[in-house]
Amino acid sequence: MGLPGLEHALPVFTDPFVIGLIVLGTIAGVIVGALPGLSSSMAIALLLPFSLYLDPVPAIALLAALYCSGTFGGSITAILINAPGAPPAAATAFDGYPMAVKGEAGRALGISAIASASGGIISVIVLLFAAPFLARVAYSFGPPEYFALAVFGLSMLASISGQAPIKNLIGGCFGLLIATIGIDLTTGVERFTFNVPELYEGVDFIPVLIGLFAVAELLSQAQNLGREKHSIKLSAVKLPSIDDLRRVKSSILRSSGIGTLIGVLPAEGGTMAAMIGYNEAKRWSDEPGKFGKGAIAGIAGPEAANNAATGGAMVPTLALGIPGSATAAVILGGLQVQGLRPGPYLFDQQPALLYGIFFAMLLSNILFLGFGLIGAKLFSRISLVPRTLLWPTVFALCFVGAYGLEQSIVDVWIMIIAGLVGFVLKRYGFSPAPIIMGLVLGSLVETSLAQSMIIFDQQWTGFLGQPIALVFFGLAGISVLLAPTRATIRRLLSEKDRKA
Amino acid sequence: MKHPDTLVGILLLGFCAVIFSLTINFPEVPAMLSQNVPPTFFPRLIISVIATLSIVLIFNGLQKTANVTERVQPAVLVTTAIIIVAGMMVSLVGTLLTLSLVAVAIPFAWGERRLRPIGILAVTLPACIYLVFSLALGIRFPAGLLFSWMT
Repeated sequence: MGLPGLEHALPVFTDPFVIGLIVLGTIAGVIVGALPGLSSSMAIALLLPFSLYLDPVPAIALLAALYCSGTFGGSITAILINAPGAPPAAATAFDGYPMAVKGEAGRALGISAIASASGGIISVIVLLFAAPFLARVAYSFGPPEYFALAVFGLSMLASISGQAPIKNLIGGCFGLLIATIGIDLTTGVERFTFNVPELYEGVDFIPVLIGLFAVAELLSQAQNLGREKHSIKLSAVKLPSIDDLRRVKSSILRSSGIGTLIGVLPAEGGTMAAMIGYNEAKRWSDEPGKFGKGAIAGIAGPEAANNAATGGAMVPTLALGIPGSATAAVILGGLQVQGLRPGPYLFDQQPALLYGIFFAMLLSNILFLGFGLIGAKLFSRISLVPRTLLWPTVFALCFVGAYGLEQSIVDVWIMIIAGLVGFVLKRYGFSPAPIIMGLVLGSLVETSLAQSMIIFDQQWTGFLGQPIALVFFGLAGISVLLAPTRATIRRLLSEKDRKA
Repeated sequence: MKHPDTLVGILLLGFCAVIFSLTINFPEVPAMLSQNVPPTFFPRLIISVIATLSIVLIFNGLQKTANVTERVQPAVLVTTAIIIVAGMMVSLVGTLLTLSLVAVAIPFAWGERRLRPIGILAVTLPACIYLVFSLALGIRFPAGLLFSWMT
């Protein structure tokens, strides 16, 4: 199978200016991604006005490189300080941070770099050949299918941090409830705004994320003062071994496939891919009990998935003009201000641009692999900073991250409140990740449900005529029932053992 | 002694009742949009799911034996107070001075007594934030009432 129009793109691959911009975008992406609250979407939005001074190919290549490396960069702080630099890295913190606490930060960062680069490269290669087909599949989804898919995604919460499936589901619903704050788009009615104008457009995701993860962790650190010493062990600078890579190989391949497929679905970005990637890594693991305590597959799964999702997300963005993720939406805006109209014809008229984007993403993934592996030892050194000095710095970054997006002090208060609530919830066995997942999916769930109900003339039975939706509902039912069933079987087996 | 899950479940039911009562006071939908799904529909659906799961949590809690929950350490309360005061101080003394004071207060509250690293952090942290975020990225931080004459 040939690649039509590839000959027009060859000069792009050898242009030192384009390559230089890709290197710059990759380094900037890793740094921005690593800073809590400063996501790649914010960095791309900030870069957009400057990219207008460039030609379309180098401009979009720069943004695409930043997108890929920013997703990886988010894992650095997720592993080192339990504060995901970007939402897709939230699942990475589950096992990455416990490994860093055990003095294996370098190993965790190495696994993250390898898994991220593998996922990213696999997804770009897959997309290069299968983009038209994948785009057609995603495009055939209507509101009922999206609603069912989101319900399936939420149902997966029952098996994440499997010790508390009920609490995870409550957390997910709590996130959905937060997402209803603001003006209802279909009726224009204010909901839970308490006459605060800044809440009319809803609660921003970033301040809640920073609060639940970083500020709650700051308070947890205060709770544990004097109890544990954060002296780094020598193994902190040890990179992953060949045996480690052999153990996570299947997780990386599986999550790359999952991430690519989820990324290609409009609006479903790396966060959901990472959550499902983590869940699947745990489900297929021989040692699921080690997850949450520092399992390397718990890093490889979400990292391969979230970086594979970056490639997937670009398919509907380029082929259909429908953003595959929040960051892809900003890139879509970049294409439009460059005077380009994304859509199927773009593949015929702008092959250099499309192959330039694929090339930028491919090169960026290779570059940050090297950057991550070489820099892993350097990043591990962050753990050596005394926490009495590290955590005030983290709080300052949280403050800037929460404030910077909308430049609103209300967002800072949302972050503080989310942090306090997160700390209390953590004490009672609630994990922050389900709340974040509910918040991310909230708008999609409600909008697709409302649209479905209008299509079905307010009759729930309308879903029965949607086979794809029924499959997702079935999977959701299985996912919810699986956790208590497994717990019951485990309890019965242990009772049997005790009697024996 | 009851398992904490029982109490958490009861508190969640109370939370659901409060949120449900808030949905009763939502403004009326304009007549031309009344054929759409009502704005109360989705929040109430979610509230009912949380309430159902809370009941399951209560029953699960009743079947479990209580475990001792660790007491909140004074450092947590002091840190919480610092964060809240910092949030209130921003509009008075501005972001950079607030973050400088946080860089002194948190280490001190956490037992750090070496003045030199605290002093360096208190100066370099707001300086770096100003250079990177304000000058390079163009984020405009609140100057605060005391320093508003400077802007």
